[in-house]
Amino acid sequence: MQREVGTLPLAPALRARLAAAGFQTAQELLDTGPCGLSKEIGISREEALEALQVVRQECHGDAARTAGGSGATRKCTALELLEEEQTQGFIITFCSALDNILGGGVQLTKITEICGAPGVGKTQLCMQLAVDVQIPECFGGVAGEAVFIDTEGSFMVDRVVDIAAACVQHCHLIAEAQQEEDLRKALETFSLENILSHIYYFRCRDYTELLAQVYLLPEFLSEHSKVRLVVIDGIAFPFRHDFEDLSLRTRLLNGLAQQLIIIANDHKSAVVLTNQMTTRIGQSQSTLVPALGESWGHAATVRLIFHWDNSQRLATLYKSPSQKESTIAYHITSQGFRDVQPPAVTHSTEGTELNPRKRPRTEEEKQ
Amino acid sequence: MDWDQFDLNPKTIAALKKADIKSVKEVLNLSGADLQRLMKLSSADIQCLLKTVSHTLRSNSMLTALQLYQDKDHFTSQHQKLSLGCSVLDNLLKGGIPLVGITELAGESSAGKTQISLQLCLCVQYPYKYGGLESGAVYICTEDVFPSKRLQQLIDQQHKLRADVPAEIIQKIRFGNSIFVEQAADLDTFQQCITSRLSLLLARGMVRLVVIDSMAALFRGDFGPAQAALKARYLQTFGAQLHSLSTRFRTPIMCINQVWNQVASYSVSYFLYRVEGSRVIPALGITWSNQLLMRLMVSRVSPGAASHCAGSRRTLSVVFAPHLPPSFCYYTVQLEGVKGIK
Repeated sequence: MQREVGTLPLAPALRARLAAAGFQTAQELLDTGPCGLSKEIGISREEALEALQVVRQECHGDAARTAGGSGATRKCTALELLEEEQTQGFIITFCSALDNILGGGVQLTKITEICGAPGVGKTQLCMQLAVDVQIPECFGGVAGEAVFIDTEGSFMVDRVVDIAAACVQHCHLIAEAQQEEDLRKALETFSLENILSHIYYFRCRDYTELLAQVYLLPEFLSEHSKVRLVVIDGIAFPFRHDFEDLSLRTRLLNGLAQQLIIIANDHKSAVVLTNQMTTRIGQSQSTLVPALGESWGHAATVRLIFHWDNSQRLATLYKSPSQKESTIAYHITSQGFRDVQPPAVTHSTEGTELNPRKRPRTEEEKQ
Repeated sequence: MDWDQFDLNPKTIAALKKADIKSVKEVLNLSGADLQRLMKLSSADIQCLLKTVSHTLRSNSMLTALQLYQDKDHFTSQHQKLSLGCSVLDNLLKGGIPLVGITELAGESSAGKTQISLQLCLCVQYPYKYGGLESGAVYICTEDVFPSKRLQQLIDQQHKLRADVPAEIIQKIRFGNSIFVEQAADLDTFQQCITSRLSLLLARGMVRLVVIDSMAALFRGDFGPAQAALKARYLQTFGAQLHSLSTRFRTPIMCINQVWNQVASYSVSYFLYRVEGSRVIPALGITWSNQLLMRLMVSRVSPGAASHCAGSRRTLSVVFAPHLPPSFCYYTVQLEGVKGIK
């Protein structure tokens, strides 16, 4: 009730008039009533009625929110935030080197950007994550679902099938080796069809469709509350042509970034974007830098750059609030995104030809 | 734009008309605050407007990956690909050329790029059952003249190449009639060709393959290092237009590209390409590479032999593709066409 007039969701012109007339809190507006209001600031009675309706709704909403305990302006201490962040889930990538430099994997509630030249493995990682987000909790996953927004048409479902089949196989091996009942039960619902049916695919053909899709995402995520990953592959493609006015592009990208940050936070999801590389012509030589300009560099919390060194693929953690900059090597196999050398096997996995990898995270979880 | 047909508050519709906002795109291009100022509505109304407008643009747009996987319809399924007319080559590509997206075929001169493209122009005309798309092809030449004599040779020998197809089906197809040859030697003509001629042929369903031979030829000569930005803009515009046509009509676009010799001190290329003993990199740089779905390279195993020399081995390799590992196979160019070697 003591809400300031400036914070109410009214038309800016109306707010300006109210401020000029000396109204400061919502309570004053409600006390004045529609007739008084229309006389004071010179608007029609209908407009005054509408404005008061909005104010009343807001105040009701505020009361409900503060009673519920979680609102738009929630206060908490840094210690609470730390505890929350430590229990935050990570989506593993199946490449333990990459998981390590990221601090555990792709973090929920943060935006991770993957930049790289064509063919280096950005889409492969996105497809891997769309499968890995669904790994049951008893195997160290977050048991979520995935939204995949494709702007380039590079989502090939046959490849996702290979990756998903390998992931299921891997979990089966762990379950057999560990002989635990809850692992086996979890695998009953972790099948290929199940995994595929929980990847929600959207194809956007230009930036207008992409903008519209992101406006609709919060509603979709509320309906599908198990979604823990939103992938946009790639964010650069629709924005790198067709723009005579670069300031419009910057504004649209900033708006998009803001919406994605809100989505990541509100729905406890990881947002993963892929970006292209472009040449920056310097004094003596050219370098490759991520596309979309300098200001876009601030949009993502975590930035990975994938590149080549002869025929070895490398991933560099370029920007992260909590991890240091480092480079690791990775492989793309028929099973998906993997480490370069399989680490030592700690328990027998029945002499299988498949990747007999130790899964350090799940071992820790079991202990 | 008829705003009345949208499910909006009459007040919002009136405000839209008054603010002279004419399209959904304009609405989405403006920020929430701009819309509030222009239309003098509250933020709740604007949110409602944005959601409604987004819904109309994106209704029924979601598919699950399972639906994509189980889709068997000829026109929409991802499993449907354009065969190359040879089982060995098709196996390398796990079926053939994907129907949506730009595929590049790069290589040195007389490595076999034109041979493969001509073969594709014939393959596309076969029924779906035999890996074709039951439609014609457009061949856009930017420098050389179209090799009609070779095409005629290939047509005459189709029964030999496609032993898997019954003879009566091959005889019924009028191969020459469905290949449309366009000449476009400069950028403006090329632009014209894509935006009008190509869209027309695609919209009428007369073609379901576009071959461009070659992209690099359009940018020779006029473009020095000072025009790098302009060249990039052209490439991005062409790429986007071709991509859009490919998506709309589910038609593969095959772009032939030349190669440059790799300069050892060109640091960017080390970042960009896997260096595995190949001395050449595809032309047009990273701007063009960003437009591609798939890149294939052809090369001659024994340099110096002529293009039609039977028996000289060539290599077809997959450089990158979202669904294929980097791999290669050998092939030869015979009288009847391009055939892989097991």
